Formats: sequence, C-alpha cells, structure tokens
Amino acid sequence: MHIPDGFLSPQTYLPAYAPAAGLWWLAARRLRRTLDADTLPWLAAATALAFVLMMLALPLPGGSTVHAAGIALLAVNFGVWTAFLAVSLVLAMQALLFGAGGVTALAVNALAMGFLGSIAAWLAWRGLRIVNEALALFLAGWVSVVVPALVIAIILGIQPLIAHDAAGRPLFFPFGLSITLPAVMLPHILVGLGEGLLTWLGTTTLKRLQARHAA
Amino acid sequence: MIGRLLFALGLGVACLTALAHDLHHEVSQGQAVVIRLSYADATPFAFEAYEIYPKDEKLPVQVGRTDARGRIVFLPERAGAWRIKAFSEDGHGLDFALTTDAAGIVASDQPLYERYGRIVVGVALILGLFGFISLYLKRKKP
Repeated sequence: MHIPDGFLSPQTYLPAYAPAAGLWWLAARRLRRTLDADTLPWLAAATALAFVLMMLALPLPGGSTVHAAGIALLAVNFGVWTAFLAVSLVLAMQALLFGAGGVTALAVNALAMGFLGSIAAWLAWRGLRIVNEALALFLAGWVSVVVPALVIAIILGIQPLIAHDAAGRPLFFPFGLSITLPAVMLPHILVGLGEGLLTWLGTTTLKRLQARHAA
Repeated sequence: MIGRLLFALGLGVACLTALAHDLHHEVSQGQAVVIRLSYADATPFAFEAYEIYPKDEKLPVQVGRTDARGRIVFLPERAGAWRIKAFSEDGHGLDFALTTDAAGIVASDQPLYERYGRIVVGVALILGLFGFISLYLKRKKP
C-alpha cells in the first residue's frame, strides 16, 4: 500500500513532515508516560509481526500484489498513539534499511497508514464492540486498510494536478483520480477482509496469551 | 516538349515526396541492459509504464511499457548513470538508478540482502530496539 520514492511531488511530501513530526512528538510523550515493562514484549512482538506482514506480498489476479499490515491489531490492543509510533517505526525501517516504501514519502505513509489507519480501526472497534466484539474487531481490521488506501489513492491521484510541466505533463505520478481510486481501492476492499480476520484472530490470540502469562 | 519535361519533373518530385513517407526498418544486434521488474512473489510487473532518464536530466530517453515478463530492454548510448521509473495505476512502482559503462554493461546492481534475509534482519532490529527500551524502563524504575 505504501507510496514509493519518486511518486510524490515535493509540494506534497515536504509539508506532510510538519504534522507528522508534531504527531510523532505527541505520541512519543504519551508513550513515555503509559508504557510499562509488562506491555513492552507484547508490543515488540506485534510490531515485529506488522513488519513481517508488510514485507510479505500476496499476489492478486491481474498481476498486482497486496499485503496485510497489522495496523488494527496494534491500534486495538495498544491504543492509537502507540500504534502510530509502531507503524511509523516499521515504515521507517522499510524505507531506510530496505528501500521498500520511500524516505521522501515516509511522512505521508505514516500519516495515512499509521495515524488515520489506527484512528479508523480504534473508532470502529470502540463503536461496535457493544454490539459484538468479533464483528467490531473484523471491521476494525477492514477500515484500517480501506481508509489509508482511500487517502493514498487521493494523494496519488492529485499528483498530476499538483506537479506538471508547462505542457501539462505530470512530473511525478502520472495517473489521475479516475484511475487511482478504483485501482487502489478495489484490491484493498478485498484485502481488508483478510485484515479483518487477522485482527480478530490476532487479538483473541494475544488476549489469551496475555491472560495465560498473567496467571 | 516543355510540357513533357515539366510532367516528368513533377512526377519525379512527387516520387521524392512519396519516399519521404516511407518507413524503413533495420535489424541489428547490440549490447542491451535487460531490467526485469517483479513483485516480491516473483509475479512479473507486466505491461506497466516505465521511463528512463539520464541521471539529473528531465527529459526521458526512453518511455514505454514492460513486456509480459516485466522486462525493460534498454540500450544505453554512452557510459553513465540512469534513472529508471516504473509505475502502475494502483501506486506500485520503483524509482531507482543504475550505472552502465561505455559497452552498456551494468556496473553493479546487486541488492545487499535477499528479501527473506531482509525480513529476518528487520525483525531482529525491531526486537533489539524494544530490548533497549525495556532496559531503559527497568533502569528508570527505583
């Protein structure tokens, strides 16, 4: 899902670093207050899982690939701010060490996936858990993929409007919204179903393990 | 007589004009750089758009689409660094550089780790980082 280097104009990725830096700072402050030694190993395991999930591409019919992310799993079990930092860490490692995603696009990816994805997942889970916990977890996983995908499709799709030469030729990503919206959204609406299952299974497993460990 | 000469001249000019619209083809062999693009599971990045730029220049020297096996065939005209951009409509793609010598041979384009090796290293780094945070939290405790 994440945007690679070279696809976004500087007019897009440079301003994105301002809100991202502010949110990283807020999240770090909050995490410093709330994080304890008991939670840390579970958070480490969930972050490592998110990293692995994002590195494992699943083929789609038509030649493209998608991947799960584990964003909702982090948001539901550790909170939005912690999930935002954990996903940002995963994205930064992928971009800096392995060339996956992009350094220039890091802030945009972190805001779309880490922040908006976590908020969407947490809100869906909180809003629906009174109805049914399993359904709430499933939908949290689904929205954690679909909301960032929508944001990324819009950001990619407006690049030809933001950055083009005198002749109107796009300088960065060449496809407009009419192409990016269906191309990005349709696969992720399907992948969201898998992410929903993963969130439900992952959270129930995590809770069971935590309960066993505490006993 | 003059009429015939003018007619012949006109015919000649018309033939030359017709030749200007003729297209020729020539088959030759050369040293090409073949770049294969694929997803992590080795699915070819097939029939997707790409652009090749001389490094630090804004006009591409080659644009097109990858073939069914996700390949770009590129014949560099000179030694130098090249920037290759490839992108699909759903936001997948690459933007990378390679250097070729005068014969079109790629200098070096080997990734440092294989993909699964990278994943192991990444997981180790994450767990290591959290280990350090754990030590920090323990030190903070009275």
